[in-house]
Amino acid sequence: MSAISAKNLTKAYQRGGETLQVLDGVDLEVAAGEFLALTGPSGSGKSTILNFLGGLDRPDEGSVIVGGTDITRLKGASLADWRSRSVGFIFQAFNLIPVLTALENVELPLLLQPLGRRERREHARHALDIVGLADRIDHRPRQLSGGQEQRCAIARAIVTDPDVILADEPTGDLDVKSGRQVLEILKRLSGEHGKTIVMVTHDPEAAAFADREFRLESGRLAETSHP
Amino acid sequence: MSLFLLVRRNLFRHPVRSLLTCAAATVGIFLLIFLTSIVTSLNDAVKQVSTKRVVTQSAVSLFVNMPEAYRAKIAGVPGVESVMRLQWFGGVYREPSNFFAQFAVDPELFLEQFPECVLDAESRSRWLSDRRGCIVGELLADRFGWKVGDSIPLLGSIFPKNGGEAWDFTVRGIYRSTKSNLDESSMWFHFDYLKETLEAGLASGPDGVGVFYVRRDDDVTAPELCERIDALFAGGPQRTLTQPEAAFQAGFVSMFGSLPTFLGWIGAAVLFALFMTLANTMLISSSERIEELGVLKALGFRDGVCSMLLLGESLALSLSGSAVGVGLSLASVTTFRRLFGTTIPSYAIRTETLFLAAAVAVAVGVAGGLAPAVTASRLNAAEALRAEI
Repeated sequence: MSAISAKNLTKAYQRGGETLQVLDGVDLEVAAGEFLALTGPSGSGKSTILNFLGGLDRPDEGSVIVGGTDITRLKGASLADWRSRSVGFIFQAFNLIPVLTALENVELPLLLQPLGRRERREHARHALDIVGLADRIDHRPRQLSGGQEQRCAIARAIVTDPDVILADEPTGDLDVKSGRQVLEILKRLSGEHGKTIVMVTHDPEAAAFADREFRLESGRLAETSHP
Repeated sequence: MSLFLLVRRNLFRHPVRSLLTCAAATVGIFLLIFLTSIVTSLNDAVKQVSTKRVVTQSAVSLFVNMPEAYRAKIAGVPGVESVMRLQWFGGVYREPSNFFAQFAVDPELFLEQFPECVLDAESRSRWLSDRRGCIVGELLADRFGWKVGDSIPLLGSIFPKNGGEAWDFTVRGIYRSTKSNLDESSMWFHFDYLKETLEAGLASGPDGVGVFYVRRDDDVTAPELCERIDALFAGGPQRTLTQPEAAFQAGFVSMFGSLPTFLGWIGAAVLFALFMTLANTMLISSSERIEELGVLKALGFRDGVCSMLLLGESLALSLSGSAVGVGLSLASVTTFRRLFGTTIPSYAIRTETLFLAAAVAVAVGVAGGLAPAVTASRLNAAEALRAEI
């Protein structure tokens, strides 16, 4: 069974009185433990697909089934609860909470899990250890480099042990070296920990880390072969 | 780590902004308590008056004196225990800004009719035996640093002495009051000293008596006695208006005109300004954190939790500032008593006023955070994260 199965995704936006058809019947199947890259020009709808897969937005038409749950049928609190259990997000701008330390940022999603304070701390430390930030737990985001911030964001995304990780341009704001570190971590999470990863990227080198690459253009999705 | 920590950290994200908003809450609640307490103190003074006393004044006006002969006639009315003369003196101590109330009374009757006036036996005896003697309240004595034996020169305004001389009084005692209807910021002296000076031609001023304080016995009710006294003078030469002391004091309060209403409007305006300040702070604060709210939603925090975070911040700002306001209000009671003791007898803060302040602090906190909380609740996570399309 696919970890992610999206069928006939359609989305249109109204801009200046005109209808902009961003997605036009997109289908996507992602196997469990697969690392998939979504590429395409700016504004082609890559992040929109990612938002659908994470339940942050709804398609005009179509369905999204993640881990056997049709999330297009979920609403409000049940959708939020599903997100807290089943999916981890990584953003281009890291989006850590600046007033919290690295450890507190990673602990944040665990507040929604039935865990005690000590367990939450242990899980958060372990996640930071996985991304190589065990020595930065008391640092606030502004005290970390861009690469460290993104690794902290990855730790936050995996701390609840979700099956699916959605990464939106995770290397977009990083230098080459830091970007490579982040991609290696994602590759490891997929390969060693069995996480299903969907990554949106502009960067062909980043896409090359994925098992498969799909290109989105003119509202349609097509698999491309790696060079 | 808990969501309370997040609320606390967010409060200190812009310390100056938070501090200024807290200060607005402090000032608002302080003023609310102060203005409410002015009104309640005035009302308390009325409520605490003795039910045994009725007051007779001229039916024309409080400022028109009655013939002194009325005293004996009133004393003969069945149900009357004693009749005390009382005259507003209106003297000036050094300069008009030193205003305080002075009353000419029959000292023995005053002490008998006003058991709430606490004066030691030695002071009583000294005052009763000295025609120029006076007693002053503790607050008044503190205000001018008077002690027993000090001389108080007063320039008469209603009763000026010939050649612009000052009236001389000697402090013979300093009293305390057990009830708020008798303030500790007044001076009481012998009516006979005033009368004899006028009769000797050493000073000028209205003849007669300003008001009669009448103590009734238990065989008659206050309304009955009032009716009897007024019936006695219904045919003149000057008609009287007799009323229970509470009603008489309430008349004084009404002399402030629409003060309570006016104070109410000021209080409402202050609270509205506080609400606007808090709402503005919270709207700015939440708009700066739209992306963070989007992140929280992406992590799985429900819409209601995001709202509660902002409401919590708003409440924390309102309550912490208000707590300081309550503290300042309680700490300043003595100062206000000293400042306004003459005008507002026994200024005090009621427990109900503190509960009102707490309720207002909560209400303003909730109202101030409501708009950003609703916005946060309705926020689309993808839009908040500035999702690319």
